[in-house]
Amino acid sequence: MIADRSSVTAAVAETIARPSFPVPTMDMGRDERPSELASPVLLFDHVSKWYGPVIGVNDVTLELRPGIMGLVGANGAGKTTLMRLATGQLRTDLGTVEVRGISTLKAAAKRYVGWCPDADVFYEEMSGRQFVRVMAQLCGFDRREAKRRADEVIELVGMNDAMGGGAERTLRGYSKGMRQRIKLAQALVQDPELLILDEPLSGIDPVGRQESIALFHQLARRGKCLLVSSHELEALEKLTDQVIVMARGRIAAVGTLPRIREMFDDVPLAIRIDCSEKRRLSAALLELDDVSGIELGEQATLTVRAANPKRFFKKFAEVVLEEGFDVQHLEILDDSARAILGYLLAGTAHS
Amino acid sequence: MSAELLHYRPWRGTFHGPLSASWPIARVALKMMFRRKLFWAIYALALLMFLMFFFGQYLLSWAESQADESGVRIFGAKVAPGDLIHGLREVLQLNGRKGEMYALFFRFQGYMVMVLLALAGSMIVGNDFQYGTLPYYLSKPISRVHYLLGKCLAVAVFINLMTTLPAIVLWVQFGLLDTWSFFYQKADLLLGIIGYGLVLTVSLSALLLAAAVWVRRTVPLIMAWCTLLFFCRVLADALVFVLNMDWRWRLIDLWDCTYIVGTWLLQADPGPRQPAIGWAASILVIVSIVCTMYLILRVRAVEVVK
Repeated sequence: MIADRSSVTAAVAETIARPSFPVPTMDMGRDERPSELASPVLLFDHVSKWYGPVIGVNDVTLELRPGIMGLVGANGAGKTTLMRLATGQLRTDLGTVEVRGISTLKAAAKRYVGWCPDADVFYEEMSGRQFVRVMAQLCGFDRREAKRRADEVIELVGMNDAMGGGAERTLRGYSKGMRQRIKLAQALVQDPELLILDEPLSGIDPVGRQESIALFHQLARRGKCLLVSSHELEALEKLTDQVIVMARGRIAAVGTLPRIREMFDDVPLAIRIDCSEKRRLSAALLELDDVSGIELGEQATLTVRAANPKRFFKKFAEVVLEEGFDVQHLEILDDSARAILGYLLAGTAHS
Repeated sequence: MSAELLHYRPWRGTFHGPLSASWPIARVALKMMFRRKLFWAIYALALLMFLMFFFGQYLLSWAESQADESGVRIFGAKVAPGDLIHGLREVLQLNGRKGEMYALFFRFQGYMVMVLLALAGSMIVGNDFQYGTLPYYLSKPISRVHYLLGKCLAVAVFINLMTTLPAIVLWVQFGLLDTWSFFYQKADLLLGIIGYGLVLTVSLSALLLAAAVWVRRTVPLIMAWCTLLFFCRVLADALVFVLNMDWRWRLIDLWDCTYIVGTWLLQADPGPRQPAIGWAASILVIVSIVCTMYLILRVRAVEVVK
């Protein structure tokens, strides 16, 4: 067992900064070339970035391949710096950042990247459609193609006037949700392979949120790589179970939420069990080495604290089958992104 | 929303280079300015100045063509009509054959340009920094240089719309009123006009962009701009003409520096106690380089940790 949370954080970061988890296999879409499949879409190689005496990103090594990856961390953890490095807006002080093998500072790399920033202030006198067209022209498309693409992505994000979207209205009159959609449209206009989204679900109504999540899933299925930063962890969990957790400029953990949770040996997992014979079950579970404590709740509920979830669940299944317990409900209480983030941040604060 | 709606076909065409992105950036800036009524009010004033020169030239040429050989009596003295009109041309500086007229025109228009640019600066550039619009540009396949070029292009359009373009119209008008030989005999004047416009464009756009990036908001920008171009002029005049200090003190007046270089290009007389062209040109070059370096540094530091 690892002694404290700080060492857990270090161990997690060390072992999985270059992720070994299986990368989701995606249908790569129609114009992907085989050579592109081999290389990661986004590669950070020992990247550090300072702002004077403040370190923004500290020795980050990371590979992203097609799929959706969440990016979480407290304010000032380095998420925005990481995203700006990935979009070529900031220069690294150490290390390299590459998109499809090209340095992100080069214009050629930016063709692969769509960026949806958190800021939603544009030129307020322009209509949404005009804004997206200008952004398309900046990507190098001629006017006709820029118009065609702008029309398509505006329809895609549900901003078409026929759909009551208001793309012809000036941006001044846009709600937060409409601004989010237009930002997404300008990011998609060049059909990027890497889509970097900063708080893309903030301010969107529940229906729009569902639509956006469905859209992100579809884009991922088309072979796109999405890096989604969000403080709305519940929404992020619906979007992906693969997350990068950042703390103090470092990558504290990368991987699926359950896998990251497993690494916290010193933080027992809280499991709620509903069983008609809760006292007898409690007695049986206390015999197990991994169980550090049991709380008896109301009616048939008990909360078990187990140190090694994988081993515990194996033993638990054996106990239930042997003794014939009637387990009505089983729920892990603290493997949510919020709980994991809390543990990680507490660990880094301690270190 | 459904990604199935996307009908992107693989792009078979040729991507325009990042340099071509400068024009859409400039166009956005121009559109924003053209929507302002204040812009049109200032532009109308500038146009009024142009029309004074335009119809002044026309009136003198018309009077020249109407005058017969008999003399005209002024205060009892008989004056030949040709001499009278020639005198008027010199006094009013409405002689399209001389660089002085174009230099004077540039000088008058310059005041309007200064006011207009003070208003335009925060709108064209300052807002990008203040509201965080810059990342949208920089995330597209263009570099900081192309962004700055686009903004400079917008400033250049404003400057030349009020100075170089009307000056060229005056040159063409004088040629049409005069003889055809004017166009090739005085082609150097045309080059001088274009050169003067270029000097204004380069120095003022670099200065404006740097000032706008520095102060960002409209009112502080107007104050900074007024300090740079109006206050420095008053100070320079006071130092040289009132306190009789060294004439090089006039170099702190950047607008005067552009005027000196412009008059040299137009082969006109810059006036008394002016610094040499070399000094003025050096100051403009140094200011432009410093402003450009500052701009590149500021644009590079898109995000600043506070």
